Amino acid sequence: MMVYAPLLFLFLPVVASVIVYLIDHIWVRRSLFLVQIMMLAMFVLYAQFLTQHPDQNMLVFGGWDETFAISFYNDTLSLAFVGLSILMWSVLLLYTFKSNRNEPKFLFFFMFLEGIFLGLLQTNDLFNLFVFLELMTVIITILIVYKKTGPSFKAGIFYLLINTIGAMFFLLGIIFLYYVFGTINIQLIKANIHLYADRNIVKLAFIMMISGLSIKGAFFPLFTWLPKAHGVAQSTISALLSGLIVKGALYLFARVAIDMYAGAQYQTQELLFYVGATTAIVGVIFALVQKDLKQILAYHTVSQVGIMVMGLFSNSYLSYIGGLLHIFNHALFKSLLFLGVGVVVTKFHTKKVTEIRGLFRTMPVTSILLIVGMLSISGAPLFNGFVSKNLVKYDFKYDMFKMALFTIINIGTVTSFIKFSQILFGQKTQSVIVTDRKQQSAMAILAILCVVIGLFYKPLFLFFFNLDLSYVKLFDLQQWLDYFLYVGIGLLLYHFVIKKDFKPFKAIRNLSISFENANYMFILYMVFIAVFVFMYA
Amino acid sequence: MNPILSFVVILIGVYGLATSRNIIKSVFCVTIIESATILLFLNLGAYEGGLVPILTELGIEIVDPLPQALMITTIVIGSTITSLALMLCIKIFHHYGSIEWKVILRGDK
Repeated sequence: MMVYAPLLFLFLPVVASVIVYLIDHIWVRRSLFLVQIMMLAMFVLYAQFLTQHPDQNMLVFGGWDETFAISFYNDTLSLAFVGLSILMWSVLLLYTFKSNRNEPKFLFFFMFLEGIFLGLLQTNDLFNLFVFLELMTVIITILIVYKKTGPSFKAGIFYLLINTIGAMFFLLGIIFLYYVFGTINIQLIKANIHLYADRNIVKLAFIMMISGLSIKGAFFPLFTWLPKAHGVAQSTISALLSGLIVKGALYLFARVAIDMYAGAQYQTQELLFYVGATTAIVGVIFALVQKDLKQILAYHTVSQVGIMVMGLFSNSYLSYIGGLLHIFNHALFKSLLFLGVGVVVTKFHTKKVTEIRGLFRTMPVTSILLIVGMLSISGAPLFNGFVSKNLVKYDFKYDMFKMALFTIINIGTVTSFIKFSQILFGQKTQSVIVTDRKQQSAMAILAILCVVIGLFYKPLFLFFFNLDLSYVKLFDLQQWLDYFLYVGIGLLLYHFVIKKDFKPFKAIRNLSISFENANYMFILYMVFIAVFVFMYA
Repeated sequence: MNPILSFVVILIGVYGLATSRNIIKSVFCVTIIESATILLFLNLGAYEGGLVPILTELGIEIVDPLPQALMITTIVIGSTITSLALMLCIKIFHHYGSIEWKVILRGDK
């Protein structure tokens, strides 16, 4: 019976969303929480079941032969992502329920997306993956343009077109793989990839899949859609976008580029590592000059994605784990920050970081939650960002250049969050504050998780993943000193450089990348990867 | 038909994406890439003399049915994307009075 749980993860939210759309009653909409609780319970039961029967991780539909049939496959990686997604959707539902409880259409798309995303995580069929990717793009576009304002339409069409192009190249890759292997089953291709790894068409498939996924994952030259989309969407959707949807692409990187192509041994690790490093640095530079709260967070998503890629494509196993853990931690703290900013923006009616002051005196609870998020993202000890950043750093211990890059990224992150934290100081400006308990509890859940992972990472990892993380030492004096040094440098940088708002900063802030140029960059990126793969692989 | 031809069509689509200044043209360039992809896959799955994969009687020689099954899904997805994009074009035209990328992205970060 529990074998069919993956199917339930996919269909329960979808069916619930349709019911919510059809039956327009408040109690039906409230029952969505029940659905989420059921999903969480089902997930716990399924995880227990899989640990007892590790051989039953494959679910083949329709009784067809495995080679042709659509199948779902679950391992530790996908299970962890499924758990994270269900949790995040529950929290976001809790957050968004007050403002959107009378919007059945919004809840329809919101819940539908959950089902699609869980399907994407579990599927074992490349074409099915493509279908889920495209469905996700369509639904996210609708959610971005949900407010029906002018800027949201242009962000929506930018997002839709550029992600469709990415998905089309992903599809081309799938076609080449099918042509060579005669199957689109990920596990079968993984088992046979070494047989034809030298053939140019398999390499071409690799290049196209990676380039397509790079658009979804917002890598260095291709991240133009991300800040546009974050700027106009509701806070819930922003949190969802940078918390999970971008991570979906990184999950596919781990699934397809790392796991499926493991037997091919293309030696692209170093290349993709530097792509990640560039992404991180460029993201930080853009974040430093922004004045819009949401844009700062959006560019930080770009830079943190870079750090995750650096971790995923490092040579040592601990760094790989660090990259994966950073995906989780980032989902928690970045959603927390976006939700907090959403509360602030609705209260202050502005998004400018220079105009909001006195937040701590006005909204103490939200401020404390935001501070937890800021400390986590900047990698402060005792918070979860510290653990994953330390793990990512593991591989660079003896490589001065990589370490220097990582330090620059860290200092940039700290500096821009010093800028961000300026909204906390100052006198009380607003008097009447109505707080929403649901929103606050949603943010509190995320904040508590940030702290819990930051404090008890060792027993948690030993229990859930059977991994020993004793490399990360919480009370290592060196690490604490490093962090305070970063904060010191960050304060100096903020007061003497960033605050002055020199001309080049304005130029970077007003840099607008047109759609044609975004496509040029995509072509150049693909050519760059292709040259590398064909020359060195 | 030669698969190279499909590639040429894909390249035409990519060229259009990189040069067109009109949103509707961009939408149709995406459609062109998609159609070319569909043609390519159908082409790779077929061979000369193969029949349509509908089994009227046993023993006839049919082409690989999987690409056809997959591509019909792609066609459906493509029409969804195109219709959504065109709907957005209409809305953009109502808001900005233009469907040029340059005009709508003006003053945008």
